Amino acid sequence: MTPRLADLRPCFQGVIPSFIATCSRDGEPNVTYVSQIEFLDEKHVALSCQFFNKTKRNVLENPFASVHFYDPVTFESWNLKLRYLRSEESGELFDRMAIRIQVIASHTGMAGVFKLIAVDHYEVLALEPVTGFLTPPDPLLDCAPTAQVAPGPMTEVRGLQAVSERIARARDLDDLMSGALLALAEHLGFAHSMVLLADDATGRLVTLASRGYGPGGIGAEVAPGDGIVGTVAQQRRMVRLSGVAAELRYGRAIRGAVERSSGAGGLAPEIPLPGLPDAQAQLALPLLAGERLVGVLAVESRDPLQFDEWDEAFLQIVGNQIALGIDRMQADDEEPVAPAAVASAAHARGAAASKVHRFAFYPSDDCLFVDGEYLVRNVPGRILWKLLERRVRGGQLEFTNRELRLDPSLGLPPIKDNLESRLILLRKRLQEKCPDVRLVPVPRGRFALEIDGRAELELKEGS
Amino acid sequence: MAQLVSTEVAEFMQSGVSVLVASRDRQLFPACCRAMGVRVERGRRSLTVFVPEATGAAVVDAIGASGRVAVCFARIEDHRSLQVKGSVAALARAADEERCFIERYRGEWARNLAVIGLPPRLSLRQNAWPCHAVRVRIEALFVQTPGPGAGAPLLPAGSERAT
Repeated sequence: MTPRLADLRPCFQGVIPSFIATCSRDGEPNVTYVSQIEFLDEKHVALSCQFFNKTKRNVLENPFASVHFYDPVTFESWNLKLRYLRSEESGELFDRMAIRIQVIASHTGMAGVFKLIAVDHYEVLALEPVTGFLTPPDPLLDCAPTAQVAPGPMTEVRGLQAVSERIARARDLDDLMSGALLALAEHLGFAHSMVLLADDATGRLVTLASRGYGPGGIGAEVAPGDGIVGTVAQQRRMVRLSGVAAELRYGRAIRGAVERSSGAGGLAPEIPLPGLPDAQAQLALPLLAGERLVGVLAVESRDPLQFDEWDEAFLQIVGNQIALGIDRMQADDEEPVAPAAVASAAHARGAAASKVHRFAFYPSDDCLFVDGEYLVRNVPGRILWKLLERRVRGGQLEFTNRELRLDPSLGLPPIKDNLESRLILLRKRLQEKCPDVRLVPVPRGRFALEIDGRAELELKEGS
Repeated sequence: MAQLVSTEVAEFMQSGVSVLVASRDRQLFPACCRAMGVRVERGRRSLTVFVPEATGAAVVDAIGASGRVAVCFARIEDHRSLQVKGSVAALARAADEERCFIERYRGEWARNLAVIGLPPRLSLRQNAWPCHAVRVRIEALFVQTPGPGAGAPLLPAGSERAT
């Protein structure tokens, strides 16, 4: 099936160069590479014109063109049949493409050679997949994919392939997110990053993975429209802020003050969002699977000039990969989970055996505390409370996702319930706040609630 | 008249670089695809472009209709690019004995793609067989390396003004 042109935007960033064929009035064909294709709408694209070359002369004489482009991750290919409409040498689109050309030039050692002279508008006459360009995947070639790649410069294709590899091989959602962030750090230099997933039940975003911030921060929530992450979620557009240290510090100071004033006495204190105290640049983008907002990917740096158009282009492609991977994992959520993610720590019981952990659930605030400290709230809070009740009072040791889904008291949405991401959040919050209590995957798609020592439960009704 | 290419240019064309081929139909609509290698023929005045049947139908139809061919050669690491303009001298199915030449090209091209990070598990899946063998009489040769010199004719082998 031919996809929508809008869905193929990651192919237009020039990671794998596209090529264009044109023909002069007297019938002489020409074929050459093209740096940039810009998606305008389903019926229009713009092509960068860096030199007044044969391609440009040809389309002025005979407007038809044929363009081939590639998906930088899957290497699938498409063909666009185009008709030249007009050219522009200034304006917002021109400026945007000019900056990107400039950055590409500096990245590829062509600074001063590549310079945008015009943006050429074309009408899309047809979009077709180049069927048969690739033969079917070969299990033999798939065996050792990374080892076969020759050493070479750290190019974006290499980085993209590494990220895509991590995503494809992820065992579960947690592995997918942390693996993608690790690959972003190792191959593309994004040292401080986090993924927040959208919770359809609350309408908020919840931090489920972070890298470069140390422990903590998992479970931090952001409301739509709040800060850069919330804005990105609400607008569904990438936002890049540079040299904004003052504003960031100001924002964090306010949040710190709010936390101090409400944290001691109030219930459900906010878990602070991971962040560099001295960040100078931020970039966040929506993770979209089709029309659905899956979450937000955010990166930070202490260098105000760290992020440019190039990073935007690549994060968009990476973000697309991550979003589709998460969407796929969430759809496969019913499948049994491989029992490898969290090792059982049953052997460490000895010392903790006599320990007592006091869990208190506040139904009015939908909030769960452990040993006087805030642990988790909303659906994950209810899930853990339910598991604890069944474990402590009913003696049930193992649980299935299915029984949680069938329990109306948990308030899981009927579709896209994000159960796996809620369990990841629970696991990570427990790891941080009460490592003696663990959610451990066991075979056949079940998980166990392990408790070293004893758990006491108190329902704080009416408080 | 067919143009002679230098041995250096012939070697460049056959060194596993990117090969793109284009033609146009009777309505002057262009068509293009990626080729799976080129063999410079004895005498260095013509070359054979191998065009995969799976992806080359439109280009081969256009070549049949117009007889005109453009071939772009480009090297990944330094962007060196050339363009050949010519006319078709023969159009046939690649012979079985040419298959190992084509497969060798695909391997070299995949090695070049690996330098920028495209893994062989993808690049070696490029469909390379069966192929059309398009024999092209070289009529003109142009420098296409990005920069101010792009588009300048590369003069016949032996000429001092070659750029």
